[in-house]
Amino acid sequence: MSLKNELSDQYLEENLAVFVNSLREEGLPVSTAEMFDALKALQQVDLASREEFKAALQATLIKNSRDLNCFNRLFDQFFVPPEVYQQKKKQVEARREQIDREIDQARRELQFKGESLQLTETELAQYKSMSEEQRERLQDFMQKTETGVNVESSFRPILESVVKSHLRYSRLNEGNNKNETDRSGKQGSGSSAGQGAGSGAEKDEFLCEMDIQAIKEKDLPEAEQLLQQLSRKLAVQILRRRRSGPRSGQLDLRRSLRENMRYGGTIFKLKHKPRRRSRQQILLICDVSGSMKRYSTFVIHFLHGLREVVRELSCFIFSDRLENLSGELRDRQDLNHLLDRVIRRSETWGGGTNLGVSLNQLLSKYPDLLNQRTSVIVVSDTRTISLNQATGELDKLKDRVKRVIWLNPLPKEQWPEFRSVGAVAELVEMWPCNTIGQLEEVLTGRL
Amino acid sequence: MSLSLTDLKNGFNQVGYICEESTALTVFLTLQLGKPLLIEGAPGVGKTEMGKVLADILNTELIRLQCYEGLDETKALYEWNYQRQLLKIQMNRDLEDEQVREEDLFSSKYLMERPLLKAIQAERQPVLLIDEVDKCDPEFEAFLFEVLSDFQVSIPELGTIEANNIPVVVLTSNNERELSDGLKRRCLYLYLDFPTVEQEVQIVKAKIPGIGDRLAWEIARVVARLRQEGEMRKKPSIAETLDWARALVALNRNRLDGKLVGDTLNLVLKTHADQEYFKQEIGPQGIEQMIKPGGGGEISQCR
Repeated sequence: MSLKNELSDQYLEENLAVFVNSLREEGLPVSTAEMFDALKALQQVDLASREEFKAALQATLIKNSRDLNCFNRLFDQFFVPPEVYQQKKKQVEARREQIDREIDQARRELQFKGESLQLTETELAQYKSMSEEQRERLQDFMQKTETGVNVESSFRPILESVVKSHLRYSRLNEGNNKNETDRSGKQGSGSSAGQGAGSGAEKDEFLCEMDIQAIKEKDLPEAEQLLQQLSRKLAVQILRRRRSGPRSGQLDLRRSLRENMRYGGTIFKLKHKPRRRSRQQILLICDVSGSMKRYSTFVIHFLHGLREVVRELSCFIFSDRLENLSGELRDRQDLNHLLDRVIRRSETWGGGTNLGVSLNQLLSKYPDLLNQRTSVIVVSDTRTISLNQATGELDKLKDRVKRVIWLNPLPKEQWPEFRSVGAVAELVEMWPCNTIGQLEEVLTGRL
Repeated sequence: MSLSLTDLKNGFNQVGYICEESTALTVFLTLQLGKPLLIEGAPGVGKTEMGKVLADILNTELIRLQCYEGLDETKALYEWNYQRQLLKIQMNRDLEDEQVREEDLFSSKYLMERPLLKAIQAERQPVLLIDEVDKCDPEFEAFLFEVLSDFQVSIPELGTIEANNIPVVVLTSNNERELSDGLKRRCLYLYLDFPTVEQEVQIVKAKIPGIGDRLAWEIARVVARLRQEGEMRKKPSIAETLDWARALVALNRNRLDGKLVGDTLNLVLKTHADQEYFKQEIGPQGIEQMIKPGGGGEISQCR
């Protein structure tokens, strides 16, 4: 939500429009017609009652149970009691003043021959977010240029262009450097990778290519939103594929006779039985030990978005044993909250990763989930105790299901270093999957 | 239809449909705005019942269209009675002086009304319940939202038929597949969740008047606990709670115990996997723990 919008407090209609916009920014599809419905509904309720007001908006704006949590969160943030609103307004104003002060200061610092350079507010804000050292270097460059031989006022557009390029480069580079730093395990400092990566499509692209493990806590909500968008895109593709397939199956004699009675019994039109459309059954098994947690959480988030277009989505997590999350995922629970809770619970399991025991549990306790319609997706770096048992169980699993897709978060160049990777890759198809982009690419082609 | 929110809530109470305030308000808005109501939720939370209850409260006819794969306009809207038309032609073939005209054959006498047309032509505003809309084909869904926007039907041989009264439309979906945005946009939306323990006690008492307070509480608590079990493949619905309660009343029981729950388990848990899970993971001891007096607070409040 923009600063201006946060401060607008004029009319109910205006507030509603801003609220609808904030829902859309979160990826909820709210049409203008639905906004009008909401306005009509508000005329029918007691506006002084928060419950009635909320119920009216919910009934008219939200058309999917999975959007309810998001709606509740935004509603509570947006429609706040007057005292909280005043407090928030003061905070926003203070923040705006601070930003204005910083931008003014940046403008004063970036001058050429006594006049400020023509830079946008975003560029000036980027300048302020740079480190002291970088700023000094840029100022030094500008000063040397200004005092150079034969430098006239007409040189100004060239300097502006150079400064703009420098700021843009700094913005992109900052994000990439962060990524590299995090990959090597060092702690980053200063502004977040998200700020450095810019915004909008550029940021999405950046998040798509970043190692999932390296995504900063601060950028997680955006990464989850991106996952939801990609997942929704794949869901639509699956749905379209199913709809566009050949629709006619066997001849339906009864319907053909019935249809042609209007022609006195002469068969003009043949009717066919609709083809049985079989939906995929997906069984997800995620390693949640140590460094695997983040990857597994992301894959669960992604596949959770597909649950309405697949026949059944079963989800298991494992480290030294197996736990079934399918029921909890089926419930309309906040996914983040659920995964936090479950993974925290799994931390107390102790012991290392034991894929063999976990697969054995799956084969013996859940035989009804394993059939020729089931695609099994395993998220694991293959590192496990008792590798032989694990490959034996995996071999049995492979024979019982349609296919097994192994998503390995280890970068592909590291695979030869691990014996376990080779042993597993001999049995099932294995794909590197340590970024959101790879995750989307692998699953788009295979589901 | 002029019905205040209070009247509607009273109506729900009178027919024994226990629901949250926000549910009543959404239904009220549906009636006021004249829009279809799309209800989603797990099986057995009272989605279909809402249509029936509304017809009761509004004291009007309930017209039900059950959706299934392969449902088309001839089953949902109208169909010409071809057999009757053919018979008429045959009967008139030998009568030289009486020529059968085309208009005679395509008159309302030969038109078979299906639920949608019946709802449009009803003299008094009916409740049209389109049940399990997620089971029909996407093509039929597209046709449906065209009908639901205009409430008029064009029959080539007869012309356009407009609705005498815009019906109160209730659509239900078990979320088996994603419905189209077009259909959703035209509806108000209501998600029905399983009731809380308190609400379920009220439902049990409203539907089974003779049941004791303590038994109703114990049943509601056990069922709520079973629904919380993540491993359960099919969670007990309200209808199953009621069946179980009726069975226990018929057995002259006024308290639950571990053995009784084990013996009557098949009334609540309907898959073998769930029953096995119950036996292994919860068992009679787990039930005793759940219903132990004072154990959870609510039980101790009962007389």
